[in-house]
Amino acid sequence: MGAVVRRNIPQIIVTIIILLMVIFYFFYISSEVRTAFNTWDKALTDWVVVITAMAAIVGGVDILRYHVNQSRKKEPKQVFFSGIVMIMEVIMVAFAVIALSSGISIPTQQNFQWLYTYIYAPSDAAMYSILIFYIASASYRAFRVRNPPALLLLVVAILVMLGNTSLGELLWSGLLPIRDWIMTVPNTAAFRPITMGLGFGIIILGLRLLLGKETTWMGRRE
Amino acid sequence: MTAIEKIDKILSTRQLLYTLLIIAIILPLIYPVGLPIGISSRTKAVYDYIQDDSKVPPGSHVLIEIYYEVAARAELEPQVIALMKQLFEKNCKLVFLSTITYGPLAFQFLQASAPDVFEGKTYGEDYVFLGYIAGQESAVASLAKSITGTVATDNYGNPTSSLPLIVEANDASAYALVIVASSGTDTFGWYVRQWYTPYHTPLLFGALSVIAPSIEPYVNAGQAVGMLTGQRSAAEYELLVGRKGLGIASMDAQSFAHGLILVFIIVGNIVFAYTKLSKRGEKK
Repeated sequence: MGAVVRRNIPQIIVTIIILLMVIFYFFYISSEVRTAFNTWDKALTDWVVVITAMAAIVGGVDILRYHVNQSRKKEPKQVFFSGIVMIMEVIMVAFAVIALSSGISIPTQQNFQWLYTYIYAPSDAAMYSILIFYIASASYRAFRVRNPPALLLLVVAILVMLGNTSLGELLWSGLLPIRDWIMTVPNTAAFRPITMGLGFGIIILGLRLLLGKETTWMGRRE
Repeated sequence: MTAIEKIDKILSTRQLLYTLLIIAIILPLIYPVGLPIGISSRTKAVYDYIQDDSKVPPGSHVLIEIYYEVAARAELEPQVIALMKQLFEKNCKLVFLSTITYGPLAFQFLQASAPDVFEGKTYGEDYVFLGYIAGQESAVASLAKSITGTVATDNYGNPTSSLPLIVEANDASAYALVIVASSGTDTFGWYVRQWYTPYHTPLLFGALSVIAPSIEPYVNAGQAVGMLTGQRSAAEYELLVGRKGLGIASMDAQSFAHGLILVFIIVGNIVFAYTKLSKRGEKK
């Protein structure tokens, strides 16, 4: 009974859902078929939306549980970091309670907007901006011409960088079309197999899920 | 220690590069130089597409996905503002939404940055913001079938079924264009799979420079009508629509920072080549 509940029933549900999703996506033969499918297709996608929203709550509870356990270890640094996470979670729950009681959604609450505008936004922007220093420092070391491919990489990097700036325009107006050509021809040629490989990977994963070969999503590695 | 080795030692000092970078970014922002900005054929193609009444008819409905956080705002917000200006001038009706949690606040920043663009436009009739919608690709798929069926209320708590704009344009077939301004790579694929493939709704991408190469295959295959890439495209588009904004303002800073990095790369290579050659000479 245990194996049936834990393994067979979830697998049957997943198989049915995959089959339905495939039918709804690929079998739009005519407008009549589309209309007939639409109600069920919509219901299915709406379930995903609801489940995703509920999963966020589960995720929140899990993070809280993890940090409560971490802070029990009484390591000063960890207690500090876990404390911050737990306080932020409590604040978010408070916002949710206010939203439920007042009907004002969280993003439109003034206190939340203050937190976002004056704490989150500057930190996020600063974190991203810091990247330029690391990139600059790394590119000084990485773009060394050690062999012919490295030379090619350097030349292309210089052309694209100059093509992306006004400085390039000032030096030579032909840099912009060259940048566009690099982006649309060799770059696309390199990325297309990656995109296609990803697509094939998803198809294979779907087939494995359909046939019950893929079980890691049930929390097992077998 | 030779002169070249001394130069290498000085240039390898991170603090020097960091200080020069800060100067190269801040100075042009305070004292703009006004370096020339050429319009790329790709940006012009996007502009021409929207201007073409047969492709985006005046008064048509356009969906705009705001999928970026503050970190990506500098690159994507100027693009969205310039596109909005062009679309509003054609009396297009804009439906904004976000499938990322930061979306509602990113939209708030957007409104604060472009009050002139929103001026004279009525909420609910000329534009609507649906707010954050959970569910990622599933939400995108669901919206294509029915907006009112997916989102009961907009960002401000108004029932979507009471908004005239949403009543007019409730599914993918009602939209002349979908603009995806995203700092993530997956978002573009969601719209290609859920809006372009089943409904043939034209897509336009607004991407960060760093992720644009990875979504280029979609544009190249004709699954999107075009793509605006980073600050450069934003600046070009601002020039095209005649509204100077953050895109143009930051181009000088970007140019000087890139120029400085290039100088360091070139000098670094000269030093590297010299050191390599002198080591070979010593061996012989």
